[in-house]
Amino acid sequence: MAYPFTDDHDMIRDAARGFLQTWYDGGKGSERVYQSGTAFDGAAWQSFAKQLGMAGIAISEEHEGAGLGDLGRVVVMEELGASLCAIPFLTTCGIVTDIIQTAGEATAKNRYLKKIAAGELSAAYCDGHDAAAKVVSHVAHAAEADLIVLSGRGEGGIDYFAIPKGTAGLKITPEKTMDPTRSFAAVDWNDVAKGDLIPIGYGSEDQHEKLITQSFIALAAECVGGAQKCLDMTLEYAGQRVQFGRPIASFQAIKHRCADMFIDIEAARSAVYAAAMASPEEKTEAAIIAKAYATDAFFKVAGDAIQMHGGIGFTWDYPLHFFFKRARANRSMFGSSERDYDHLASHIFGDAS
Amino acid sequence: MTLREEFSQWMTENFRGEYECLRGRATPGDEDAFPGKRLEWERELGKAGWIGVGWPKEYGGRGASLDDIVGFNEEYAAHGGPGRAGHIGETLLAPTIIAFGTEDQKAKYLPGIKAGTEFWCQGYSEPNAGSDLSNIKTKARLENGQWIIEGQKIWTSLAMDSDYIFVVARAEEGSVGRHGLVFLLVKLDQAGIEIRPIKQMSGTAEFNEVFFDGAVCEQEDIIGGVGEGWKIAMALLGFERGASTLGQQMTFADEFRQIVELAKKNGASQNPLIRQRIAKAYAGLKIMRFTALRTLEAAETGELTKEGYMSKIYWASWHRDLGELAMDVMGASAETLEDGEFNKLQKLFLFSRSDTIYGGTNQIQRNIIAERALGMPKEPRGGGTVIKG
Repeated sequence: MAYPFTDDHDMIRDAARGFLQTWYDGGKGSERVYQSGTAFDGAAWQSFAKQLGMAGIAISEEHEGAGLGDLGRVVVMEELGASLCAIPFLTTCGIVTDIIQTAGEATAKNRYLKKIAAGELSAAYCDGHDAAAKVVSHVAHAAEADLIVLSGRGEGGIDYFAIPKGTAGLKITPEKTMDPTRSFAAVDWNDVAKGDLIPIGYGSEDQHEKLITQSFIALAAECVGGAQKCLDMTLEYAGQRVQFGRPIASFQAIKHRCADMFIDIEAARSAVYAAAMASPEEKTEAAIIAKAYATDAFFKVAGDAIQMHGGIGFTWDYPLHFFFKRARANRSMFGSSERDYDHLASHIFGDAS
Repeated sequence: MTLREEFSQWMTENFRGEYECLRGRATPGDEDAFPGKRLEWERELGKAGWIGVGWPKEYGGRGASLDDIVGFNEEYAAHGGPGRAGHIGETLLAPTIIAFGTEDQKAKYLPGIKAGTEFWCQGYSEPNAGSDLSNIKTKARLENGQWIIEGQKIWTSLAMDSDYIFVVARAEEGSVGRHGLVFLLVKLDQAGIEIRPIKQMSGTAEFNEVFFDGAVCEQEDIIGGVGEGWKIAMALLGFERGASTLGQQMTFADEFRQIVELAKKNGASQNPLIRQRIAKAYAGLKIMRFTALRTLEAAETGELTKEGYMSKIYWASWHRDLGELAMDVMGASAETLEDGEFNKLQKLFLFSRSDTIYGGTNQIQRNIIAERALGMPKEPRGGGTVIKG
């Protein structure tokens, strides 16, 4: 148990790690998901969310969750990042959970939160603010989600709606993506009757921004977990691979690059933990820093890991490519780090460009 | 009232008037600012009991908790307190004396440090013992109850303002590396010692060469036994647990703010690339702070964590980058000297080149991270012969 975690967090980490390492099995889990062509592992989701009870980690105890907030979610996301387990935790237990907990009406809370906590409901979030055509592409985890939560600009703020899977007229078209371990789909609700969009709540633009930004923390934690896995694999490989009569881990060219990976990862980890611990006033800025730093770090570390593995790192059989592709995909997930840093600069200069 | 509040109030009441000129001064690269006033300021701190707040009460300290020490350092920086002339004695040597010294040594040396009247410098590095620190050649031999010291130390910070130097020297003839060393406490003002300032690229001279030509100290003026010099020298470095880094970070934050203000004023803030670098520098500041908290909090609970290994290389690289950013924000005016002198940001730019060298170069830091944090194999060592190309 090391700061900022408690024994509760450690227990959750151990449980998640035990399950996910078995699932990952040296990359076989990711390959299985790739072969399935769905970018989703339904059995793993059942076990992880329902049997292990991980889906309620950030849901309040009032709604039968664990009430462990951002920090609890960070613990789980790090492990998910290390395994690339193809389940809709990020959207279900991150964005959608936060939307319902913060902006949801009591009925929506009662209807959905308990079910999510019990692992009986998965969800995706679809940003429909600028979707006059009622089609949004590249929605994470929409393909397998039981529920789509849609946001749109309404009078004086943002309205949130729920569209359950199977709603008449709802068209979900899975996309093929470079990263085969997280599903994306286009969501088209043109033919959904207005009465079938279930209103679940509303909030100000400002609150919405905060909600979405808060979910950056979970994504950033996933990056830290993925990057750490890449470093661990590199250390193991470099310790075994012998060239010029020595393990390559004894060469400074390798050692220094691994040291740089360590620095990037620990710095990203600090940014993520700081964001998870931040007060509500400081949360948005901290989350932006965490996401910008961690997505950059993961991508760099994954690339370095391939380089230090030499030829084997470039093969499909060796699982590093899955991490490299996830690292790349995460750079696009909620906008680029360049945009994050520009936001930050506007805040620093007070000139909102 | 917490210690932080008490100290903040004291700073408000005392850090003014004749000391106003020291505000934000005497930082690295600016160590020649108001030398006399700086030493007077140390005595003010000492008189009020603000030196050694973390020492145990029995030695005149306040026995402050780590949180309080962090608070103390942050308040000092927040009030713009000048670079501390006494920090080597206070935060490095005193804890070493308390842990390993004799009762006589405690009685002899702690009061002067605590009063802010006696200053110490560190005699570790030598011309041929830089990154390879254990390659020490300075010799100490015992004669008629006195240690006689011959040799040379280099890169000795603030030797010109110091009264004493602690010296790691070779006491066993023929010994090599970490063996056979002794840790000596030596008065600087004596015939056998000469101090020569090293003029740096920043134009100032924080670092010095210290020559020992038959310099002496008493037989009992050693910490630990003969052959334990390395152990004591390393233990001393371990006492800097990072509480002062939070104060250092506030100094960094001040420098950062100054650069932001300048960018706003001269329009550099409109440059998208400058904006990215400013934002990244800001993120780095926040990351340094939380990394320090992780290390400090873990240390409180006795947890051994690894992120502390990145602290030196991270802040040093960050600070060097900040110096470069400062110059780019200044634009062409960065090249001209107003009043014929380097301004604060120019000093920052120049002096920060040393940050990634002193106290363990970035390259040595990477070795340390690879070997201690990541468990990678040690570098094979040369067998004492120099390999020529």
